[in-house]
Amino acid sequence: MGEDARDYTIDELMVVTLARQFRNEDIVLNGTVSFIPVAAILLARATHAPGLTWIAGAVGVDAQPEPLIGNTLDPTMWKRCVMYLPQEHMWSYVHRGVLETFCIRGAQIDKYGNVNNTVIGDYARPKVRLPGSAGMGDMGSLDKRIFIWTTAHTPRTFVERVDFRSCAGYLEGGDSRERLGLKNGPQLVITNLCVMDFEPQSKHMRLKSVHPGVTVEEVQARTGFPLIVPKDIPKTELPTVEEIRLLREVIDPHGMRRREFRSTSGRE
Amino acid sequence: MAARKANKVVTLAEAASLVRDGDVVALQGMGTQMSPLALVRELIRAGKRDLTIMMIVGGIGLDWLIAAGCVRRVIAIIVNLDEFGMAHAFRRAVEAGEVVMEEYSEHQLLSRLLAAAYGLPFLVTRSGLGTDLLAIHPETMRVIVCPFTGQKVVACRALEPDVAILHAHRADAYGNVQFFPKPIWLDADVFPRAAKKVLVTVEEIVENEEIRRTPIHTGIPYFKVDAVVEVPYGAHPCSLYPLYSFDRALFQEYASASRTVEGTRAFLEKYIYGPTSHHDYLQRVGGAGTLLRIRKWE
Repeated sequence: MGEDARDYTIDELMVVTLARQFRNEDIVLNGTVSFIPVAAILLARATHAPGLTWIAGAVGVDAQPEPLIGNTLDPTMWKRCVMYLPQEHMWSYVHRGVLETFCIRGAQIDKYGNVNNTVIGDYARPKVRLPGSAGMGDMGSLDKRIFIWTTAHTPRTFVERVDFRSCAGYLEGGDSRERLGLKNGPQLVITNLCVMDFEPQSKHMRLKSVHPGVTVEEVQARTGFPLIVPKDIPKTELPTVEEIRLLREVIDPHGMRRREFRSTSGRE
Repeated sequence: MAARKANKVVTLAEAASLVRDGDVVALQGMGTQMSPLALVRELIRAGKRDLTIMMIVGGIGLDWLIAAGCVRRVIAIIVNLDEFGMAHAFRRAVEAGEVVMEEYSEHQLLSRLLAAAYGLPFLVTRSGLGTDLLAIHPETMRVIVCPFTGQKVVACRALEPDVAILHAHRADAYGNVQFFPKPIWLDADVFPRAAKKVLVTVEEIVENEEIRRTPIHTGIPYFKVDAVVEVPYGAHPCSLYPLYSFDRALFQEYASASRTVEGTRAFLEKYIYGPTSHHDYLQRVGGAGTLLRIRKWE
């Protein structure tokens, strides 16, 4: 893996952690305002997963846009692609399961990995109207392995129960997702404080590692429900010197990944 | 009207007059890309009312229409200004109960449009199973059981817009509309097939002979098009790949101004009600300097 980096920032730690989840055989597409996943996909492709296929902005098949300059659906992302994928083809691949992995974020995430990006409060007369479900309304129901990321680990984001289920996670927990005929589901949650997964039986969110400098108590205090906390919680693995160099010099020298820390989770 | 092989070239004002109060309008636009925004500004100046605006990804044009009081209902999967953040007029109007938001997942909305495009009563998807999106739309989505396999699927009722409005690279006078590259996003591909009427603004109107030399680029045939308007930079401040980029400065200005009702009104006054023509609008957004900048994708 190479030498650990001593000089890294939280956005870089998140990108590297997400990048390490992608497999060489994965076919991945990205959605809107998704700089962290896009940087992670490109980093994975440049390191352990050279065979990974990325469909840039759901259009540019196997694109090569380094360095990143535009927004994550922009035509500048499609640079040097082998095909502009018609969107009806894209949806057939998504529906049928040719594409298996998707990354999402949202304003609220609950203990079973259900995600809300629709409304806070009542649907018809919301306290806060959020941007909307977009692709997460599809991907949660279409058997994807879902990676959730958020740059705002707060009790407002991590809630006992989402106000509106825009994305189907593990629903009511246990086997409720499976009983509805939905396969896979949320795999990991990567935040600015820690990494979490889901306990296999209850499907309840569980602490997996804390980022350097963060305590278990701090994570629990900033989570709006009791997490499952195993006895020994390791530190999140550090980025390597080479991963940080690739990110800063080749993939994202303009620091587009940091834009996600400006307007977090779709709220102001 | 569409089916005629006749000259369909009209002015922006004439095209706007083909949109009626209360219409369901399919408005093209994908984040910061490809939206007929010169025609949107014309609809606002014409004082349209009670429109239902359907977009896949709702953006700046929708937010302007809402701020101007033209909209009663929105049909979309998400509404925002992409990397520029929230669509504030949309958010305020929905929170105040002035505008109804009908939210779908992307494949649900696509299924509704494709059903209309095929003249079918509904199409099915698996998208949205397990979400709350199903419960809020009993009139347009129901979980049904496949008669062959017993599998649960979501039936999505056909949605036939009254009119689709789009911006493209070029067309001839008959309405053979060309894209470079061919339509990629769903809206340019599916809206014209699903809608009753189709209005298209283009960067350039060319001879019919020119179309015949490059038929591979034709995305909409003349028999589905009702009106064509020549509007260079007609997508501004959105991009028209590869000709020009979105105008980062104007998006930023609107994202800031629209944080307040007063700021939004001042923006509309300056850039929509104020300009006496599309040419005047282009002057107000920075003229030749801005156009050069967006052509260089800066």
